[in-house]
Amino acid sequence: MDQLARALSGIVGPQHVITRAAELLVYENDGLPGYRLRPRFVVAPGNRAEAIAVVRALAAANAPFVARGAGTGLSAGSLADGIVMIGLHRMRQIYSIDPVGRTATVEPGVVNARLSKAAAPYGLHYAPDPSSQTACSIGGNVAENAGGPHCLKYGVTLNHVLHATVVLPDGELIELAAPRDDEIGYDLLGAFVGSEGCFGVAVDVTVRLTPNPARVCTMLADFPALDGAAKAVSAIIAAGIVPAALELVDAGTIAAVEASIYAAGYPTDVEACLLVEVDGPAAGLDDDTAAVQRICRENGARAVRTATDSSDRERLWQGRKKAFGAMGRVAPHLVVQDAVVPRTRLAPVLRRIGEIAERHRVRVCNVFHAGDGNLHPNIPCDGNDADEMARVHAACREIMEVCIGEGGTITGEHGVGLDKQPYMDMLFSPESLDAMCRLRDAFDPARRANPGKVVPVRYCREWNASPSARKAVGAAP
Amino acid sequence: MTDAHGPAAAHEPAGTPDLADVVRAARAEGRGLKVVGAGKWSGEGTPAARVRDGADQVTLRRLSGIVAYVPGDLTLTARAGTTLAELDDATRAHGQWCPLCPWGTDDGTIGATFATATTGPFGAALGRPRDLALGIEFVDGEGAVARGGGRVVKNVAGFDLVRLMVGAFGTLGIITEVTVRLRAIPAADVTVLIVPAGGGVRGASPPAGAKWPPAAGSSSIERDAAVADALIAAEVAPSGCAVLDQHDARLLGVPAGAVVARYMGSTALVRAGVAEAGRLGTVTETDGRFWTSYRARDPHPRMLRGSPLSISVARRLKGRFDPGSVLNPGILGEDAE
Repeated sequence: MDQLARALSGIVGPQHVITRAAELLVYENDGLPGYRLRPRFVVAPGNRAEAIAVVRALAAANAPFVARGAGTGLSAGSLADGIVMIGLHRMRQIYSIDPVGRTATVEPGVVNARLSKAAAPYGLHYAPDPSSQTACSIGGNVAENAGGPHCLKYGVTLNHVLHATVVLPDGELIELAAPRDDEIGYDLLGAFVGSEGCFGVAVDVTVRLTPNPARVCTMLADFPALDGAAKAVSAIIAAGIVPAALELVDAGTIAAVEASIYAAGYPTDVEACLLVEVDGPAAGLDDDTAAVQRICRENGARAVRTATDSSDRERLWQGRKKAFGAMGRVAPHLVVQDAVVPRTRLAPVLRRIGEIAERHRVRVCNVFHAGDGNLHPNIPCDGNDADEMARVHAACREIMEVCIGEGGTITGEHGVGLDKQPYMDMLFSPESLDAMCRLRDAFDPARRANPGKVVPVRYCREWNASPSARKAVGAAP
Repeated sequence: MTDAHGPAAAHEPAGTPDLADVVRAARAEGRGLKVVGAGKWSGEGTPAARVRDGADQVTLRRLSGIVAYVPGDLTLTARAGTTLAELDDATRAHGQWCPLCPWGTDDGTIGATFATATTGPFGAALGRPRDLALGIEFVDGEGAVARGGGRVVKNVAGFDLVRLMVGAFGTLGIITEVTVRLRAIPAADVTVLIVPAGGGVRGASPPAGAKWPPAAGSSSIERDAAVADALIAAEVAPSGCAVLDQHDARLLGVPAGAVVARYMGSTALVRAGVAEAGRLGTVTETDGRFWTSYRARDPHPRMLRGSPLSISVARRLKGRFDPGSVLNPGILGEDAE
């Protein structure tokens, strides 16, 4: 056993330091196929004190590390290339729920859906709902600034985090709070949320809980033409309606879902369906529902079905939320992509994506947060087929180029990690990338937390100017 | 007063490259720069008034105008010196508006609103500057021009330079351009005065879930605050709510003891909200222009609790984004000791 591993097992107990190759296997991947890296070993603290002690021990040893929640990420951001991995999956305690102040304080390993379940007796829930919510952790959500279908109305993780206790990579413990309206100070919490594990490790997080809406109405609109569905999305938002969710599912996805155990009753003879949910006080909800139905029909919807009860609603949502799982029937692997375009550019971008798929002989299934313009072009494939994977990657690159060309961005909620690094300099100037490096350096001057992720190292001026600093850390690919 | 470098100069750059030149020159000469938008938040007692004597003044008023606006996307990109009134004119023509509505007046600039993260009476319901900023361009303390975020409503590409700059009071970079999220103007927008049921507040039936009635022996302002809490806890909550002391009520032409609330949304939603308010007291509709004078009236001072630079991360940020202390020196209380 390596010496550092032995030292850390003194903190967390030997059974929580994983060093054997066979056991490390599950830590070599996240949810995105095509990347596989083995950590030096995994250390899994069981509580706040242990987590702090582990980070301090790593600081003393000048050892770089990667923190990981549930490993459901989709950007290869939580993979560790021969360095230490801190697994936060054992830190699953919900410290407190305040039903009056509508907040909860939790450990980072608490699973997203479990928090909502714990808040349910008070008529509250945790609003950000990534599709992986039954598995992903709050800590991982904070690291990625995770989204989800209901973020259209309720906002992303950033808008729901009120406080975090963070252990910086050098071992200092700091409290980050949402800025107050009557005070002056930097929004360090805002900078921390979405920093992909590069700024430190949150050992507890306080989040806002949201009251359950009085009424919910879920609709499924069938569109013979994909174009019409895309146009309806813009028209709904432009009409001033803020749906709780506005999701697009295309024919390829529908076929996979309807052939699976997750069959949701989506029509298989259309190019796309829109899943539209409006919620809120009973007053005005019927008006919104009627307006959504009218706008869908005006844009070519063949039919608009309204879920009549909660089981009907859950079934409609199941088709959307389990779409990724259903793809397992189509091919052994699924490359889940993530990009954003201005909402009004959805129709032409979806057309271009179809052309790109055809040219590279890959199958693209779109299922995404249309109301935000947040695309998820998913490509079922065989990760062991080198020729096919080369075509998949070529198609992904072209899709990113199209999204950037339309004024969009390369990731809306999955993060940059390793996977999106090649596109960062298509989106940002060297000066902007250097500014991001400086922001990271303020939290982690030694660059020991998740080294080599997000911003390509070659764009960090100060870093490049100081080879001795790089050598001292001994990481960074 | 002047410092060792001679009298303070005034700069009015016409573009981002000009501004970068001004910053580089100041950095080279060891001079400070006081950054001003329209000068609306820089009076006596404001944080801007703390800027060190002898700093040159940089005014961003020529750095103005809308750069991009696609109404269908509900996003707008404007240069920092664009006033909120200009923004309002441009968006209203398309049935849209920017819900920032910060404390102060609409001749303040969008750059200053974000640099100071000044919120307003609708911030809690409709979004504060940190929630509404999508993208940003800035010039750092060494004259480097950088961008964060973008023009789309959801974006996690790279570390968050947007949240870093919003509320930093221009001490890490001078904001030159901002992309903001807009909203459609709602079908109904009603402002009401609520006079709590005279003496008989206990008789009023409150919205479900509200803390009501106010404790016996409450003062008028405590009773009004209880009314506001009850309104916000109601199923249909107002977008904004104002509780006024006697002096402000008189100044703003509001009957003593009245709470002012604004309901926005579909006609049916607003009707329901006003009806719920009616369960707490007598409701009368009033002129929506109240909010303009309310915002202008309220100075909402910004406190400096301790020194922001006592935090290690904040100190290192300042060192990496403005190593020469060129940008708004003194504003963070550096000179207090």
